[in-house]
Amino acid sequence: MVLAAHPGMAGNLDGQGRTMFDAGIRQFRMALAMVLGRPINVRSAEKLVDDALATLAEFGSPGEDVEQLLRGAAADPQMRTDLTNKALRRTAKRLVAKSPFYADHFAAARVDPAALTVENITAVPVTTKADLVERARDFLCSEPFLASRTTGTTGRPTEVWYSRYEERLWPALVALSQVLRGTVRTTDLVQFNISSRATGTAYAEMQVARLSGAAIRMVGLVPPAETLDLMTGTGPSAPTLMVTYPSYLGQLTRLARERGLGPADFRLRRINVGSEVLSPALAEASEKTFGAPVHDGYGMTEVTPVAGAICRQRHLHIDAGIGLVEVCDLDTGAPAAPGALGTIVATPFFPYRECMPLFRYDTRDLVRQLPDAPLTCEMANVPATSHILGKADHVLRTQDGPVTPRQVIEVLDALPGACWPVRHRADVVDGRLHVEVAASSVPETSDIARHFAEAGLDVTVDVVPGEGRELRRYRCDLVENSFASAGRAA
Amino acid sequence: MTAAQNAFFVLVTLAVALGVSLASIAYFRRVTLPRPAVGAFNGNDMVIMMGFVVVLPFLYLSLPGWLLPPVLGLTLAGGLAVGYGPVVRRGAVRWSLIAGLLVADWLTARSADDDPTHATPYWLVNSLVIMLMAVGAANLNAQGGLKLRHVSRFALALAIYDLFFATVVPLTQKLFDAVQGYAFAPSAGLRIGEFGAVVGMGDLLVYALFTTVAYKAYGRQGLVLALCLVAVFGALAPTLAPVTVEALTGHLPKIVPAQIFFGPAAFVGYLVLRRSGPERRMADVRPPARLAPADGELPAHEELETAGPRTRP
Repeated sequence: MVLAAHPGMAGNLDGQGRTMFDAGIRQFRMALAMVLGRPINVRSAEKLVDDALATLAEFGSPGEDVEQLLRGAAADPQMRTDLTNKALRRTAKRLVAKSPFYADHFAAARVDPAALTVENITAVPVTTKADLVERARDFLCSEPFLASRTTGTTGRPTEVWYSRYEERLWPALVALSQVLRGTVRTTDLVQFNISSRATGTAYAEMQVARLSGAAIRMVGLVPPAETLDLMTGTGPSAPTLMVTYPSYLGQLTRLARERGLGPADFRLRRINVGSEVLSPALAEASEKTFGAPVHDGYGMTEVTPVAGAICRQRHLHIDAGIGLVEVCDLDTGAPAAPGALGTIVATPFFPYRECMPLFRYDTRDLVRQLPDAPLTCEMANVPATSHILGKADHVLRTQDGPVTPRQVIEVLDALPGACWPVRHRADVVDGRLHVEVAASSVPETSDIARHFAEAGLDVTVDVVPGEGRELRRYRCDLVENSFASAGRAA
Repeated sequence: MTAAQNAFFVLVTLAVALGVSLASIAYFRRVTLPRPAVGAFNGNDMVIMMGFVVVLPFLYLSLPGWLLPPVLGLTLAGGLAVGYGPVVRRGAVRWSLIAGLLVADWLTARSADDDPTHATPYWLVNSLVIMLMAVGAANLNAQGGLKLRHVSRFALALAIYDLFFATVVPLTQKLFDAVQGYAFAPSAGLRIGEFGAVVGMGDLLVYALFTTVAYKAYGRQGLVLALCLVAVFGALAPTLAPVTVEALTGHLPKIVPAQIFFGPAAFVGYLVLRRSGPERRMADVRPPARLAPADGELPAHEELETAGPRTRP
């Protein structure tokens, strides 16, 4: 006698036979869209974040193969190259069809988008910031939603438009990555100290917090004393995560030390910085003061969502699945040789970039090509360059060779008693490196040249009286005053 | 049905139902199944599973008779390979064992077909295969984060399903007739001469699932209650029902939809257990390993921290 017969083990099993139909279907759909280069279902991506949160709530950690999910399966190099070539052609064909600028650009270069590969891509001239400023509307490929303006530290600000699709997709992908890596938790309070001009980043950060169940406090670049007041304390109103610029972090660190504050006075568990050079000296001082690790990241308004992270060996790793990243020689524009300096040229792929995509955008972000040897860091499976060394246009060509902004900043930030950010200006005079430093930034001025010499830099130094704001602009100078800080009643 | 036949029926059913439940608990305590990076069982999964429950019998019945055993055999082979990967880690050994079991099932089924007095070896082998399958499937679900809330509702839905397809649309009877005597029939039990007792694989799965998830969710308290429910409403009530019906109507039903007894009982059991507090999570049963901080990292650098792309200013 049969009591009943139910097909109990029926189900959609993944490669290892594990059954979570709902989440599995979503993952499959997203993977399929990524491989085929079709628009990603944003709602599905957002629900995947819910799945990740549910996974952490149930198991306390993601499954074993989380890195495979986040970075994609470790395909063989030929397969990766094939996928990259397809993504390049897909992106180029769409640009030629939808963007007046790129229709002209490819026609002038006599390049067939359908024949592009990573080998012949240099036949397409790079897109420059000047192109973007002068013909901004000709880059639009879909309905714009949100404009983000760069801070204009290198000259005129650039305006980049994002679509609704982009502004929902990126936060979902970032939230998924952060939730699975534990870099954001439902119990976190994120404090956002970034210029309010960075609307794209601000909007995305709020969405990431919403999706990941965290709280977020949008503070902006208010005077450091106000921010420090908000940061201090170990109660629930004190932030656990912070996002800011290195120069602003320098100001906060200095002020916290002046107030005699230490790790016990804060609840921070992580500080994320970017957009400026972060020196090891400042990172170490901040970590000791706030009791939380400082993580340096790389991203750029123009080429979002192409972004990178710094490993423990201080390489910059940029995920090759989102876009193509080239390092081009500063003089020839050809691929930089191992060990040579170069500028990052980035091409975000469709479907990650939709509204105002850029092809071979010359970011002018300076890096050094790593030696042609296998990587041994914890992110060895992701392509890498050196840490960001500054802006390509700020390389100083001395008689002893090129000097990068990072080399100068690292020495200055490590000076005894340095007041971050150290106000300075570097130049080349008679073939030698010449550095002017604001007296307010370095209390001990007699030995500066020796510190440079110890770093292998032959330099002449002038100490300039005063605060030296005219010497070098930092993002912390984009300070946003409140009535309180202006000394008036609201 | 004689008293001896009825006693045989009750005892075998009780042994099979409790046996598969306890085996599933043993598996849960000793074996950790791998899980995907993202995904915990939720209510939608149960709805999808219910969809399979409804559709698959029709699919089976639509197949020609000669095709049904191979389809069932392949399903079992796949299920066993998945469920017992962590138990027999070497693929070649695992597949050899599975192939051996399925070949034995097929050969004994052929032998029983030729001579019905040789049915006992077939039932022993087939029952072993089906019970192994139910234990593996139950643990895939339980260790996948399935909650007792979901299982109890699933059981309740199956009760309605069973009632409908046993009385209104005689699907269960048709499926029973279609698979009986074939190799890999999705049922476990024993036939010795005129004595017989058979329990469907779906029922075994529900018993194993409910017991295992109750244990996961409420520990020993959940386990004891679940075993009692399986014994009373999963084995005793359905096996005593036919003789009761026969005594009352003079007609002995050929099949009894067991879930009409067990489904409501499981749901009420969940409501009772729920009064003692929230369900335990897998993290409570098996806390995740914490990653040690790397050299040179600050003490504040907490677990799960690996470098990687993130939101940046």
